[in-house]
Amino acid sequence: MPLATYQTSVPVVVDDAKCIADKGCTVCVDVCPLDVLRISDMTGKAYMAYDECWYCMPCEADCPTGAVTVNIPYLLR
Amino acid sequence: MSSPFESYDDLDDADERLQAADPAERRVAIIALGHSGDPAAVAHLAGMVSDPDAGVRQQVAMALGEFDGPESAIALVQLLVDPERIVASAAADSLAELKDAACADAILPLVRHSHAFVRMGALRSLKELRRKDTLKPALEALQDSDAAVRVQAIGVIGFLKLEESIPALTASINDSDAHVRRAAVSALAFSQMKSAAESITRALKDDDWMVREMAAETLGLNANGSVAADQLIEALADGFWQVRLKSIRSLGKMKLDRAVRPIGGCITHEQANLRKEAAAALGEIADPSGEPYLALVAGDTDPEVRKNARWALQQIAARKARAGA
Repeated sequence: MPLATYQTSVPVVVDDAKCIADKGCTVCVDVCPLDVLRISDMTGKAYMAYDECWYCMPCEADCPTGAVTVNIPYLLR
Repeated sequence: MSSPFESYDDLDDADERLQAADPAERRVAIIALGHSGDPAAVAHLAGMVSDPDAGVRQQVAMALGEFDGPESAIALVQLLVDPERIVASAAADSLAELKDAACADAILPLVRHSHAFVRMGALRSLKELRRKDTLKPALEALQDSDAAVRVQAIGVIGFLKLEESIPALTASINDSDAHVRRAAVSALAFSQMKSAAESITRALKDDDWMVREMAAETLGLNANGSVAADQLIEALADGFWQVRLKSIRSLGKMKLDRAVRPIGGCITHEQANLRKEAAAALGEIADPSGEPYLALVAGDTDPEVRKNARWALQQIAARKARAGA
């Protein structure tokens, strides 16, 4: 039996309160070169579906509401 | 010819979506208009500059940055004077992207605005438009009380590259603010006048190291930069390695044989960047007296230094071959 059934920490974190994906915004999903972001069918907000981030940052830089934060590992900063 | 944006139907129902009660929905509609690439979107965006939501106005400012031309400039000018800083900043960034010289008509009146940020944003956007009638207001702005405005004014003057502006730029080298002095030194790079090179040379003694660094770099670009060869050699003993690095690069460009020994003295510096530049400069000069110095870095720990040293030795060998032929 797994100790955790969902991932608790991913590099790209989306603040649901700020995200306007439920209004039709797809900026972060569109700019991601690895296509790792998705819009949740449940919440209508963006989230990181696959943990394969390159830390290229456009999702954070282009987000119109500043909802996306990319946590860059210490050794890559 | 097909357009990558032809599949967009953003404009068909744009007005309806721009009137949505939810600011987030209006914002998404504005993003779509910006991405459409359709010049007709500018009119729709311009109609949103008075939206009650600051986030929406900020998005309008960002979206207008995708379009060039006076219509876009007029809308952006309205956003540049917005009381919300996020809106004004986005407008300033988008204004700086404009390239159509006709945009200057809308921007010029703001050069005398009461707020320093607006004056700065206006001057910054005029820079790349390179219109000769922007020289006078830019020269006046050199007397502005705000240093950031004076820096942008120097940018406008520098981009115009007019010899008549040299006295004003030369005077700005004595400005009280280091950023202004640095900008003035950089703007003098284009001048063919000997007095300009002499002013840049004086900046090698500036109190601020970044001004000295810019002076050392600019002398390598200036047509009369070689008048400062002795001062550049002196600058190789500057307390800041950044100044030494630019001095080495400029001396290399000048191909001065007498600079070999002082440059060679820098080739064992602890900064790899400096060793790399020193090796490259000895290659540019290509005087055989540089070989012993290059031998010191033949086994350097940094591969870029070794690469430049090998290249420099090839240049010296080629010069010897030419002399022998």
